[in-house]
Amino acid sequence: MHARFSPPRAFLRGIPITVWLAALVIGPLAYTFLMSFYSTDGLRIIPTFTLKNYGRFFTDPIFSSILLKSMVIALVIAVLAILTSYPLAYLVSFRIRRGKQLLFMLSVIPLWVSYLVRIIAWRTILGNKGVLNSLLLGIGVIREPLSFLLYNRFAIAITLTYICIPFVFIPVYTALEKIPRNILEASSDLGAGELRTFLNVVFPLSLPGLVTGFIFAFIIALGDYIIPLQLGGTQGIMFGNLIWSQFGFAFNWPLGAALGFILFAISVLILTLTSRFGTTEGGFLSE
Amino acid sequence: MSSRRRPGRPTRRRGVGLKLYGLTVFLFLYFPMVIVLIFSFSPTKTMVGMQGVTLRWYEELFRDRGLLNALWHTVVIGLSSVSIAVVLGVAGAFFVTRVHFPGKEVFRTLVLLPYILPGIIMGISLLIFIRNFGIRLSWFTVLLGHVSFTVPIVMFQIMARVARMGPNYQAAAMDLGANPAQAFWYVTLPMIRTAIIGAALLAFTVSFDEIVISFFLTGSAWMTLPVFIYGMLRFGLSPKVYAISTIILVLSFALVMLMARYTGRTGEVQAVRKRRGDGVD
Repeated sequence: MHARFSPPRAFLRGIPITVWLAALVIGPLAYTFLMSFYSTDGLRIIPTFTLKNYGRFFTDPIFSSILLKSMVIALVIAVLAILTSYPLAYLVSFRIRRGKQLLFMLSVIPLWVSYLVRIIAWRTILGNKGVLNSLLLGIGVIREPLSFLLYNRFAIAITLTYICIPFVFIPVYTALEKIPRNILEASSDLGAGELRTFLNVVFPLSLPGLVTGFIFAFIIALGDYIIPLQLGGTQGIMFGNLIWSQFGFAFNWPLGAALGFILFAISVLILTLTSRFGTTEGGFLSE
Repeated sequence: MSSRRRPGRPTRRRGVGLKLYGLTVFLFLYFPMVIVLIFSFSPTKTMVGMQGVTLRWYEELFRDRGLLNALWHTVVIGLSSVSIAVVLGVAGAFFVTRVHFPGKEVFRTLVLLPYILPGIIMGISLLIFIRNFGIRLSWFTVLLGHVSFTVPIVMFQIMARVARMGPNYQAAAMDLGANPAQAFWYVTLPMIRTAIIGAALLAFTVSFDEIVISFFLTGSAWMTLPVFIYGMLRFGLSPKVYAISTIILVLSFALVMLMARYTGRTGEVQAVRKRRGDGVD
């Protein structure tokens, strides 16, 4: 713990970042929290304290049921992202010697490939006249196009899993790379097979990375509103869309602020609960 | 003692299974991108019955003034927000690594908030806050939004490098008579230069692609490219959408490759290779 202070002059360097923090992070978040206690009258926002917005969240079952559904979808997505990324990270970290760096790059490049382009790609694949249906019709597996592919939660889950894979891969891979290889040798010298070594040595040591990846995937999936808009259709409304619509046609900023703050509270709660298990070295922000 | 590895076969077979699984994941990752690429050259909308190859959609892109404007806006926002973020991020990185004060962990977490919170929260917060001051939605509000999330990206990249570097080099420079500015300019800056370039490229890539926050801060007249493309999507998927998507794909690949040259991870790999005596690029 650094309880000691540096000399006052050193703090001059902190001025720019503190101003930024106050003006573009704390200020907006604090003001949004404040607005969540306001109300509206038509298009006017009335700045008097009320708990009405939070009251609506807790009494109107639409809000809580959509939040719950969104959390379930986010959970499914996070699990799917782990099931796809973990084996891949294990493969690249432990089994590949030649071209390891290339495979690592290939695994993380999708992270930097345009979010919108990836959405467009999945709309193309899953659409009624899309790639998948055309392919299946072409080889005669189906006679009618499958309509359950697009505009529902299935499409959201696939696309968001796709988006989340690199976010899980990077921390898991970082954790796996940190495991000293001689521990594995020790384990095998003591007679453990590969599976046992994995279950008793590798997996526990990779848990911090796994938790970090899980949290990233969960929060990304929970807060997204563009993918549900693009691929979710009417039954695919998620909590993010509820917030979003308060700033569009519903035009109820205070309610939107309250819903946003609820999402904020959930995110912060999850982050703090898991911060002791996870690692701050997410990998893609630290070098 | 028995051999270290369990007898070959089952292990090898399991290894093959894992490799096949990995291959499937790679296919899953890259198939969508290939689809976009192919469709951008298709004269028709569907791939089935794709006859021939055309560059027509790319030509149309260059005639679309709205799209070119949006592209220009995105580049301007990217360059300016990244420039601001580099100044703030470098100063912030030195502040957080070198200056001691209680509550530093909290400070670090607060800086990271725009990056770890769902984008929609930052989007609505910035919108509410900015509108509170009566500022109209324009390029300026988009810029503010982009500065909010590019700063943590740059700062955390630089922080890692500064922490690894330690304070001794600067101290040595000052012992040899340099003033703090000279020590920074001649000693510290060259040492963190690659980290700055890597961080700037990373931040630019994120900024170029950002839509979740920009969506709230963009007015109807002044759009960034992702917001513009999003608008195009309202009229369905068109070959033009695939053409612009392909250009973006190629651009992001190029940026990632460039970025890899400057980030620490590849640097370390190169160092290892050098030590082993393998060729270094």
